[in-house]
This record gives sequence, structure tokens and C-alpha cells, in this order.
Amino acid sequence: MDADDLELFRTAVIGTIAGRSGSALDHALAELGWLDALDDDPRAAISVLFEAQGEACTASSSLARLMAHVLGHDGVLLLPSISSSDPPGLIDGTSIIVRGTSPTADADRLVVVVADSSISRAVTTTADRFDFHRIGGLDPDLGLFEVSGTIASDNAVAADWTAAVDLGRIALAHELTGVAAAMLELARTHALEREQFGQPIAGFQAVKHRLADTLIAIETARAAVDLAWDDRSSTTAAMAKAVAGRSARTAMKHCQQVLAGIGFTIEHPLHRYVRRVVSLDLTLGSSQTLTARLGAEIIAEGDLPPMLAL
Amino acid sequence: MDLDVFKSELDAWLDAHADELRPSFAGGGSLDQQVEQLGKVRRLLFDAGWMRWGWPERVGGLGGSNLLRAYLGEAVTLRGLWEPGFSALHEVLAPTMIEYAEPALGAEMVPRLLRGDEMWCQGFSEPGTGSNLASLACRSVRDGDGWRVNGQKVWTSLAQYSQRCILLTRSGTTESLHRGITALFVDMDTPGITVRPIGAMHGHEEFCEVFFDDVFVPGDRTLGGEGKGWAVAMDILPYERSTALWHRAAYLHDRLRRVVRTAPPGSLDPSKLGEVTQLLFSFRSRSRSTQYRLHHGGTLGAETSIDKSLLAQAEQAVFDLAESALGLSLLVDDGPLQDQWRSEFMYSRAATIYGGSSEIQRNIIARRLLGLGNDR
Repeated sequence: MDADDLELFRTAVIGTIAGRSGSALDHALAELGWLDALDDDPRAAISVLFEAQGEACTASSSLARLMAHVLGHDGVLLLPSISSSDPPGLIDGTSIIVRGTSPTADADRLVVVVADSSISRAVTTTADRFDFHRIGGLDPDLGLFEVSGTIASDNAVAADWTAAVDLGRIALAHELTGVAAAMLELARTHALEREQFGQPIAGFQAVKHRLADTLIAIETARAAVDLAWDDRSSTTAAMAKAVAGRSARTAMKHCQQVLAGIGFTIEHPLHRYVRRVVSLDLTLGSSQTLTARLGAEIIAEGDLPPMLAL
Repeated sequence: MDLDVFKSELDAWLDAHADELRPSFAGGGSLDQQVEQLGKVRRLLFDAGWMRWGWPERVGGLGGSNLLRAYLGEAVTLRGLWEPGFSALHEVLAPTMIEYAEPALGAEMVPRLLRGDEMWCQGFSEPGTGSNLASLACRSVRDGDGWRVNGQKVWTSLAQYSQRCILLTRSGTTESLHRGITALFVDMDTPGITVRPIGAMHGHEEFCEVFFDDVFVPGDRTLGGEGKGWAVAMDILPYERSTALWHRAAYLHDRLRRVVRTAPPGSLDPSKLGEVTQLLFSFRSRSRSTQYRLHHGGTLGAETSIDKSLLAQAEQAVFDLAESALGLSLLVDDGPLQDQWRSEFMYSRAATIYGGSSEIQRNIIARRLLGLGNDR
């Protein structure tokens, strides 16, 4: 997409997201042709949708559909249990024991990936084979279900789980960046409007520097996501997810402090973003886990990952 | 010149001339040795044509994208052939001369800098003028068709080696602030200039005080015209935060790689190492975008304060990690390599101070990028 097309697409996506969540948003995105856009220009489709979804703090099954799409399947991919990055299916003789999460309970087709020694395989099945249990927890608006069941291992086809996780992590990094940008905008607006000691609190350097640090954190995440797109390796995809998770936590801390009392009430939207930062950071590998893993890989390798060429 | 062709031909040339280019000393070397090495490498690169790519033909360049310069800086830095803090000075000073000097002066002088015939320095800061550049007081008064300069500069890097100085002076009243500043291109051998190097905690007398006592500067050495010094300074500062930083990213990559390769087994904390690597890779990605923005004809402004902030973060993180991993060896062992680690660790303490402190960068970000109003 050129710059004009991208702006049109962004406006369309933001308009589609406004006021929608869950299956209503899924249907609206299908009508918009988001999956076609994903084929045409994956970077534009993913960056625009997930950033906008993060900014609006809404939820859809787009991550699960994106990951299924990477594997060449229509439908919704069963995501790992929260905080895991492993395939949700385990081979047990001729059957597969399944334990994962899904953003929807009414998908026609559910794609289940199974770790089978060194390769992964995927089975497409109907949703009625499983038990769905609604997850409340810290971020109930996410609308996740815990999914469990046992299915037959027939008809499993080879699946590149790593490729699905890589792109899923990049999408989540965009979403976390959108969440952080929305929190910064809430705090910035508040700092310009809220007066104390006869002036807007934006006039105090202690406040300015917190918000500047927030923007630095957000731009760090954007730089890491750019790197992941330009490089397209598993290492830089994980790096983008880790940096975006850490940056969003930094933004969360500073913006909460600037928004202070009003930001602590449920009359202000901040609490929804705080919940979202924590849930997204824990999805497909937390910033803490991925960072420690990167360090361990470098130590084992005895060298840094390759540097992106100019 | 195509970037990929440039890359492969330059790499081949650097490999073929490795013996000639190599420093004559181990480790970081003394300041004299570093400056001599820098001159040698610039001369060899200029004479072979590499140093001329990316600069306009009217100042002796061969034209082409700024990306060629960026790659040259990176390739030479990664081979450890020059001190990246010094080599990048031409990336800061040459664009200013090209933009603001009389065309004949630029054409005469810029090749001398690029070829390593001369060193130049940047006379901005003063004892009473650190973060608040608009308060500078080094006085210039009209004298015939030239200027008479009286006052003092400080933190002038490598002034003791320099033949020229890009100097900011107060030509208007003190109250005129940024409107009354004039930039001059000064010969450092002019009578009345005294240079005093200052010892610094990283072990090199890299910074100097420079005193001006009735120094005459001809009128045709005025950069950008009388009272235009603030524009010169505002144009120079984003360059300090662009190509120079790209060279520094390559340098930090090289140093972190060395930490990984030389740290004793078990001395690296995986979480810390992972985080430092992420900071450095993010900084490099940011700096790369800035290089491409320049390449596409964009101008640089307040957003480069983000680049500088990321550099400061990455630089201190790399050397904090080095200090914790190399520990006792860095503390007590003799030898040129340990001396270099010590010097670099100490130098990295200044990363949040030099080139606009972290606090100033945050003020710029808050005012210019977030619209939060004036400083203080």
C-alpha cells in the first residue's frame, strides 16, 4: 500500500473497530476484507489493525485468525494456555489431549496444533468437540475461554508453529504499542487540563519527564517492531514482543502516576488499559521470559544475533 | 553509486588494505595515537575515494546518498580502525560548512577535514553556558570588515589538535538571547587563542578550555551571516544525533559482542544480557530509520532527541554489563585491553550528559513532540 492507501485503510479499520468488540467486531472485520488485506500487504494489515485494537482497548479473535492464516487454514487457531508459547495439543497414543485458550466459543472451525517430537502438525476440527470455560480474571473484557478436550489425531497435517508464533508476537507488539500510546494520550490530555498551584500540571518538569519517558519507551517498542518486520527472524519477533511488553509496563506506571486519583477510579478508562497491558504481555511469552531466553541463547551461542544491515 | 555495490567494494578494499589501515598500538591507545590513527585512516579513505562518497561535488565529494557515509562509518568502526567519537566529528561539522560557509570557503576547507589534513573543533559550550546555549557570552564586535572576539569556551573536544573551530559568539546584547548570536569559522593559530586541555575521568585530556583574547576573525569567515548563529547551532545539533549516532551503534555492537566473547563463564546474567541486547538493537533500528529519512530528503528536528535518549540508555547499559561481567579483571588487571574497558566504562558515564543531557532531551520531547508547553 502506498501512503494514501494506508491512510484510507487505517481510517476504515478505526471506523470498523469503533464501538465493537468480540464476534461483532470479527464479523465487521470479515466484511471489511481484513484477511484479503493480510494477503496483499501483511505489514500494513497487521500494524494498522492491532495498533488500532490496542488503542481502542477492544478485543477480537484476529490474533487467532491471523495465526491460523499463517498455517494456511481458515478459522480460529487454538492459542496456548496463557503465559505459554507451546502448541496447545499433546499427542497421547492415537489421540490428542488439548488444553488452550480461544477468544471465541462460536468458531465454525478450530485449528489445533500439536507438538509431535520435532515437528508440529495441525488438525482442523469443529468447536463442539471441546469444553469452553469463560475466563474472568484480571481482564474480563478480553473475552477469553479456556478450552479443553480430547480429539483423534487423524488428518493432522504439517504446520509451521514457529512461523505462526513469530507473526503472532509481532501483532501483539503492535497491540501493546497501541495500548501504550492510548494511555499516553489520556495522561497528556489530563496534564494539560488539570490545574494545581495555579497552572496546568503539564508545566511541572516532574510530570513532563514522566510523559517524555513514556514516549521514549513507546518509540523504543516501535523501533523493535520495525526491526522485526525488516529482519523477519524468530529472534527479532521475540525481541519486539519483549520490548513492547516492557515499554507498555513503563507507560502504564508513568501514566497511572500522572492520572493519579482520577486514573484510580473506574469512572476513568485507564484501568481497562492497565488490565490489557498485563494480559497482552503474558500472551505468547512475557517480556521477562523472552528477555531471559534471548540472553541464554546468546550465552549458549557465544555471539550476538546478526546485526540488521543498513 | 548503489549502496550494495558500495558495501561490497568498500569491504573488499578494507580487507585488502588491512595492514596499512591497522593501528600501530594495542587496545584504545593514547589520545595522540588515536588522533594520528584517525588522520591516517581518513587520508587513506579519501585518497581511495571512499571518504568522498555521500558529500556534494562542490566540496570535493563524489555525490550520492548519505547512506554511503553511514555505511563507511559503520564498516570502519566495526573493524576498530578509528575512535568512533572522534571520527564522527566530520559528520557534524562538514554539513554545517556546506550549508552556511561562503561557497569558495566550503570548497577550500571541507576536503581538508575529510582527508584528515586538518582537525576541526566545535566551540559552543562556555563555563556559564551548558544546557542553556542561548545564554552564551563569548563576545564578537565588528572591527573593520571583520570581528574581534573575546571570551572563553569549554568542553571543546580535541581543540589542542585542531586547525579550525566553528565558534558561536555573542554579537548582539546578552538580552538578545538566540537572536544575537553569530557563528564564525576561526583559524586556531590566530594570535590571542590559548588552548588548555582538561583531565577527564576516562583518562584522556580530550576536552579543552579555549580562551580568546582580542582574536581577529575576517568577515568572510562569518557562517550564515551576522546574527544567524542560532540557526547554525540548531542545524548542527540534529546531526550530532543522527549519523554520528549510527557510527556509535556499530561501536556498541562491537563492544557488546566482545563482552559476550570474553566474559568468564557464569558471569553474564541472561536477563540483563537479553535486555541490553534489546536496547541496543532497538537503538540501531531507530537510528537506521533516521538514516533512511535523511536519504529520502527529510529534515531532522526534535525527534532526534529520541535517538539520543536511546543511545544514552544503550551505551550505559552495555558498559554497566561489561563492568559487572568483567568485574575483578576490569578493576585490577594491567594491560591495554583492560585499560580500554576501564576508559570506556568511565566514558559511558557521560552518555546521559554529552550532546544535550537526558534532562534537556526530555524537555525537548515534552515541549516539541508532546506539546506540553515551555520548559522549567
